[in-house]
Amino acid sequence: MRDKIYKNVTIFFFLLPALLLFVGVLIYPIFMSAYYSFFDLRSVSTTNMPFYGIKNYIELFTSGSISFWKALGNSLLLAILSVFLQLPLSLGLALMLGKGIKGERAFLSIYFMPVLISTVVIGQLWRKIYNPDYGILNAVLSLMGIEGAMPLGGWLGNVKSALWCVFIPTLWQYVGYHMLLMYAGVRSVSPELREAAKLDGATDAQVDWYVVIPCIKNILRVSVIFAVTGSLKSFDLIYVLTEGGPLHATEVPSTLMINMLFLRNRYGMGSTIAVLMILLCFAFALLISAAFKEREYYGRKKHT
Amino acid sequence: MKLKKVAATLLASAMILSLAACGKDTNSGSGSGSNNTDLKSEKITLNMWCIATESDSNRHSYEEAIKEMKAEYPDITLNWEAFENQSYKTKIKAAVAADELPDIFFTWSCAFLGDFVNAGKVYCLDDTYQAYKSELPEVMMGNSTYNGKHYGVPLTMNIVGLFANMDLLKEAGYTEIPGTYDEFIACCDALKAKGIIPFGCAGSETWCVTEYLESVIEKSVGADALNDIFLGRATWNNAEVGKAVDTFQKMVNDGYFDPNGISLKNDEVKNNFMAGKYAFYMNGTWNCADFANDPNFFPKVKVAEFPVINSGAAKLGQLIGGPSDTLAVAASSKNAAAAAKYTFELGKKICHYGYLDGCGLPAWTPYGDTSSVNGLTQAVSEICAKADSYVLFGDTAMNADEANTYLDYVAQVYGCQIDGAGFIKGLSKDIR
Repeated sequence: MRDKIYKNVTIFFFLLPALLLFVGVLIYPIFMSAYYSFFDLRSVSTTNMPFYGIKNYIELFTSGSISFWKALGNSLLLAILSVFLQLPLSLGLALMLGKGIKGERAFLSIYFMPVLISTVVIGQLWRKIYNPDYGILNAVLSLMGIEGAMPLGGWLGNVKSALWCVFIPTLWQYVGYHMLLMYAGVRSVSPELREAAKLDGATDAQVDWYVVIPCIKNILRVSVIFAVTGSLKSFDLIYVLTEGGPLHATEVPSTLMINMLFLRNRYGMGSTIAVLMILLCFAFALLISAAFKEREYYGRKKHT
Repeated sequence: MKLKKVAATLLASAMILSLAACGKDTNSGSGSGSNNTDLKSEKITLNMWCIATESDSNRHSYEEAIKEMKAEYPDITLNWEAFENQSYKTKIKAAVAADELPDIFFTWSCAFLGDFVNAGKVYCLDDTYQAYKSELPEVMMGNSTYNGKHYGVPLTMNIVGLFANMDLLKEAGYTEIPGTYDEFIACCDALKAKGIIPFGCAGSETWCVTEYLESVIEKSVGADALNDIFLGRATWNNAEVGKAVDTFQKMVNDGYFDPNGISLKNDEVKNNFMAGKYAFYMNGTWNCADFANDPNFFPKVKVAEFPVINSGAAKLGQLIGGPSDTLAVAASSKNAAAAAKYTFELGKKICHYGYLDGCGLPAWTPYGDTSSVNGLTQAVSEICAKADSYVLFGDTAMNADEANTYLDYVAQVYGCQIDGAGFIKGLSKDIR
């Protein structure tokens, strides 16, 4: 009995630093954000803040000037594009490189390079690409004989084109990241399985579709979760490129949150957006995990 | 001699700053005659944040002032960092919220500093100010005075100037910046006919749009009416303001503005103006320093006041601007009293070198030889010497929430999403 207590106390003390870190860095800020979201906190001082109930939440969804729906819609659109454009592209590259083509390592480094470069640098780079006066995009289009393709106001200044122009580098930057995750999975698939499928007469595409992809399903699930939650909390590149403008065209919940917190000094409303972002990320992570489990279940059922 | 006259008239005109509380001490002082014995015996380290980045016009004045301070107070170590304007606004607010302010920090006066003062994060400078009253007129302290207490050391004051590239104006047949609104519009049409874009304006930084819009509104409805709205004494629901906004939007729709400007940053637009892409550039007079430093561009540029649109309500001499750039001391500083004294000394020197460089007009009484001040800044001094009243920049005068709501509507006007009626209706609903 005494040994058991001693063992438990030892375990507790070994876990304590990690637990303190987890509570202090993650749980406490989330709890405080949730707490502040119920107050009309408009000053940096928390000594005199009127209780607001759920008014911040109501205002967030009903106010015409805050444009939260627009921001949420943009984030969801980015998540859809991530899942249906970015991930297939990453998977394609991972499958291609996983076959052991010539210059595999060089390609791997090249595709992964954007992940290593600071997002601010990438943002500035793409600002130059889109620049209406000396941007490389206009120069290339002009070389191709496509004059006047740039919309009025410039690529990043036009309400209709800005969102797509922001999404392109956002998607491009993390193709390498997902590719690397998937590549590690593809390389871990046993060569015997591939050979067996080949002996049965499967083509390369069939090997990838029926052997490799099912083997890396867990990695695909992680990638989908990262892509969707990453889209919901996307911030840095959009902030550098447009700061959510023009006219909120590229607004996402994170840029809106920064706007509320640090430009409008509405700390209560900023906390409300933060809480909703956390809830949305959790909800989507659970949904995606559930969807993959469902598929696993049906997959097993089909084969038995 | 002429400069001294201009400086004296400038300080006299500053007395009528409509925003400021009235002070009585206008005795001109020279040099640093204040009592610094305490400061000289201190052996401390102070930290400072500001926005004088390498590309900022004020950088040189900060460097010179800090170098001089180092020589004068060798026992005080100053660690200073500079951040880009827009990101600094976020950084400083986060630091205030986390109670991690440096000892000395740059801030904008009025509502911006007011939020920090209300939160009790700023050190009161009343006691320290007594020693500097003769060099820093009370009127210049008005925008950083809250409940009768002083919380900021003003550096320079600036107005919105109408800068013109005279080479381009000559191509359109003009040798001077037109003085009346009708002539001004005719000049814009002539420029357009020659294939020259009249105005450059950075749409991705909405404060740049306000430099145009506020001037148009002020010269349509008058300084008092606009000031009353900015300071919360009148509603935005003013049909004349709506008409003025329509006047501005007509200029946008008539193609006077670079359509690509909406996606550009202010630095990019300024560079375009200096490269000869636009005929006019309306922005703060702190730009005089950069223009004066470019030997190719300087001979081409002139500055003037935006012409009167409705002479029934507005007149020449009504300007947008005032002392806004300020240094403040954190209440949490371990050496707050010494930091306060250091801030006054440093502020005076930054103001001195800033004035010599052309970064703005002096909030402090000028001292030493100021004959090297560039011609453009002298022209601004002359405009200010004739000034009748000043309206502080809208986004500085209003509190953060109202200022950003206002900027949001300004962006919508520039993007032609709403007209004047929509502007006043929206702002009267969302602000007052």
